[in-house]
Amino acid sequence: MTAGHNRRDVITGGAAALGLFLIGGNQVWATPSQAAARNFTPQILTQSQSQALSTLAEHLVPGSAKGGVSAYVDTQLKAGPNSLLMAKYVGVPVEQQKGFYLSALDAVASAISDKPVAAVAEAMASDTVPGWQGPPASYVFFLLRADALDVTYGSQAGFSDLDIPYSAHIRPETAW
Amino acid sequence: MIQNSPDTVIVGAGAAGLALAARLAQAGESVVVLEAGAQRSTSDMISSQIWARKLKWSAAAVEESGTHPVGHAFNAGSGTGGSAAHHYGVWLRLHQEDFSVQRDHNRSLDWPITYQDLKPYYDRVQDAIGISGDHVAEVWRPPGAPYPMPPLPVFAQGRILDRGFQATGRRTAPLPLAINSVPRNGRAPCQFDGWCDAGCPIGALANPLVTSLPKALSAGADIRYDAQVIRVLRDSNRANHIRAVEYAQHGKRHQLVAKRFIIAAFTVQTSRILLNSSLNKQPAPGNRYDQLGRYLTTHPAGTIFGLFDDETTPHLGVSGGQLLCHDDYANKGQTGGFGSSQWLIANAIKPHDLLGYGTSRPDVIGGELRPWLQRAAKHLANMTLVVEDISSPDNRVTLSEVRDDAGMPKAHTHHDIAPEVANRWQQRIDEGEEIFRAAGATEVWHGPRVAMHIMGGTVMGDDEKKSVTDTFGRVHDTDNLYVSGPSLFPSSGAVNPTFTLTALAERQGDHLLGTPVNDALHA
Repeated sequence: MTAGHNRRDVITGGAAALGLFLIGGNQVWATPSQAAARNFTPQILTQSQSQALSTLAEHLVPGSAKGGVSAYVDTQLKAGPNSLLMAKYVGVPVEQQKGFYLSALDAVASAISDKPVAAVAEAMASDTVPGWQGPPASYVFFLLRADALDVTYGSQAGFSDLDIPYSAHIRPETAW
Repeated sequence: MIQNSPDTVIVGAGAAGLALAARLAQAGESVVVLEAGAQRSTSDMISSQIWARKLKWSAAAVEESGTHPVGHAFNAGSGTGGSAAHHYGVWLRLHQEDFSVQRDHNRSLDWPITYQDLKPYYDRVQDAIGISGDHVAEVWRPPGAPYPMPPLPVFAQGRILDRGFQATGRRTAPLPLAINSVPRNGRAPCQFDGWCDAGCPIGALANPLVTSLPKALSAGADIRYDAQVIRVLRDSNRANHIRAVEYAQHGKRHQLVAKRFIIAAFTVQTSRILLNSSLNKQPAPGNRYDQLGRYLTTHPAGTIFGLFDDETTPHLGVSGGQLLCHDDYANKGQTGGFGSSQWLIANAIKPHDLLGYGTSRPDVIGGELRPWLQRAAKHLANMTLVVEDISSPDNRVTLSEVRDDAGMPKAHTHHDIAPEVANRWQQRIDEGEEIFRAAGATEVWHGPRVAMHIMGGTVMGDDEKKSVTDTFGRVHDTDNLYVSGPSLFPSSGAVNPTFTLTALAERQGDHLLGTPVNDALHA
C-alpha cells in the first residue's frame, strides 16, 4: 500500500456478513438481524435451542435478539471450519463448535423451561444451575454473552450506539 | 524462473519465512514458499474484530494441556503473513541479561549468542523496516542505533495512565512500534484507529504483506498457498541430508526436492513437522537426544482496566499501546517471584471481542450494560502486563494420536507455569492496580492470566544434547535443514518476539549467503 492509499474507508471490502437463511421455505441471503426479523428457520440449531439462545442473550445483552444472535450463531456453525465465533480461540476449536453449542443450548433450554431466565443466568455465572448437563455453565455464560456483544456492539451500528467513531480503514459491507 | 527443484524451500509465509524468502531471492536463489493457509492481500483486511478472526489459526486444532496452556488458536496465524499479519507491531529488543538467564539465575536456558551478536541485526532490521520511538526516553533500552522515526503521539488515555506511573515513582517512554509515525519507504503513517488486530491495510504497520512479501515476489519467489507440509524426507544415501518435503495441497500429496530447507511454520507447527519426519525408527531431525519440541515458552500476560472521571478516548491509538515501562525488567530475581516484566500502556481498545472492555466484565448484564459500555467508551483505560516465562524441558510439543484431514498427526502442547512465574504475574498485577488508583481511577479490575506469544520447541544451542539447532538455526544432525522463527528462542525474555525473530532471520540470511555482517557493526 502506498502513501497515496492512506485514507480511511478508501477500499470497498468484502466482509460479507450475509448468510443463506431459510425464510418462509426459501433460501434467502440476509444479515442475521434481517433473518431474525423475518422469522428465519434455523438450520443447525433446533427451534428450542435457537429460542433459548435468543432469550438468554437478550437478558444478558439487550438488543441482541433483535440483532439476530441466534441467526448469527446458526450461520457461523453452518460455516464449519470458516466459523468466526469467538469460541475458536478460547478453547472450542471450530471442529468442536457444533457439538459444544448444541449441548450448551440444550442445557440452557432445559434450565429456562422451569425458571426465570434471570435466575438461570445468575446460577450459570456461578456454576450452580441444578441438574445442569453440558459444558461448564459459567463458560457457556461467558461465550454466549460474548456472541451477543459481537452481534450488538461489534458493528458500525453498535459503535454508533456507544458514540464511538468506527473509523474503518476498509469498511465492512454489511454488519461486520 | 520457477523450478521444480529450487535452491531453497521455505515452509511458512510468516515474518521469518518471508524475510528469508526476500533475502535469498534477492541474492539470486530460486525460492519456493509453501504456506498452509490462504493467500491474502492488504485489500482483504476488513476493519472488524469479527472479521479479524480469519487471520487466526484455522487449520487442525492443537490439543493443549497444562496449568497455563499456550493459546495456540489465538496466538498463531494462518495465510499470508502468518501470525505477523495480526501482530501489533510492538518491536522491542531483548535485553542483554535475557541471553544468560541460566548462568545468572540457574533457570531457563542460555542463548548461544549474546546481545552484541544480535545488535547489528537489530539495527539493520530497524532501519530497513522502520521503527517509531524515542531511544533517549527509553532509558532501559540496550545499546543500539536511534529509531529512524519519531514516536507516535500519546493520547488522553496514555497521559492519564502516565500520572499513575509518575505518582508511584516509575518512568515511562513512548512505546517503540514498527508502525510509521511519518511517511517512510512508500508506506503511509498511522491513522490511530486501533484496527491493528484486523491487519493494517494502509501499510502503516510493518506486517509482512507490506515489507518482505513485495520484495520476495519481485525477486521471483514462488509462494504456494493451501500447501500443508507433512514432513521432511531424508536422502536415502546421506542420512544427514534432507532431500525433499512432502506436502498436501487440494487433497493430493506432493514432494518438492531442493538443496536447502527452512522450516518457519511458527513455533508449534515447526516442531510438529519435524516430529512427524521420523521414519523407519530413525529419529526425527534434531531429535537424537529427545530435545525436539521441548522448552516451549509463552508470556504470561494480563490486562488492568480502570474507569476514570477524565475522558480517556480509549478508541484512539494503536492496539499495542502508547507508552512503555521497563523499570522492573532488569531485576529478574526481585523478591516476590521470578522473571522480567513489562507494561504496555494505553492500548487502543474496542467494546467487544476477547480483549474488549465489554468482554472483560461478564458481571455487567441487562439494563446496566448499555450505560456501562457508553461510560467505558469515553472513560476507560487499560494496560497490558507481559511476564517472562521459565524454559522447562517438560513444557513441550508432541504428536497427538489424532490425525487431521490430511492424515498428519495433530500437535499436542503441554505447558505448566512455574509457581515463581505465577507469583511474579500476581505481584505485577497488584502493582498495576495500584498504578491505576494512583492515576485517579474510580474503579479498577483485571483480566485473567492469559498466554501471549509462543516460543521454543526447536531451541538453538551449542550442545546437541540440550538443543535442536546451532546458532544459525541449522538442525544439528543435518547439513541443509534450518529452522527460523520464535521456536529458536532458548528463553523468552519479557518482550514481544517479532523484532528478535526478524533480526535472527536477518542473521541467518547472512550465514546462508556466506556474507557475514561487517565486523565493524559489532563495535
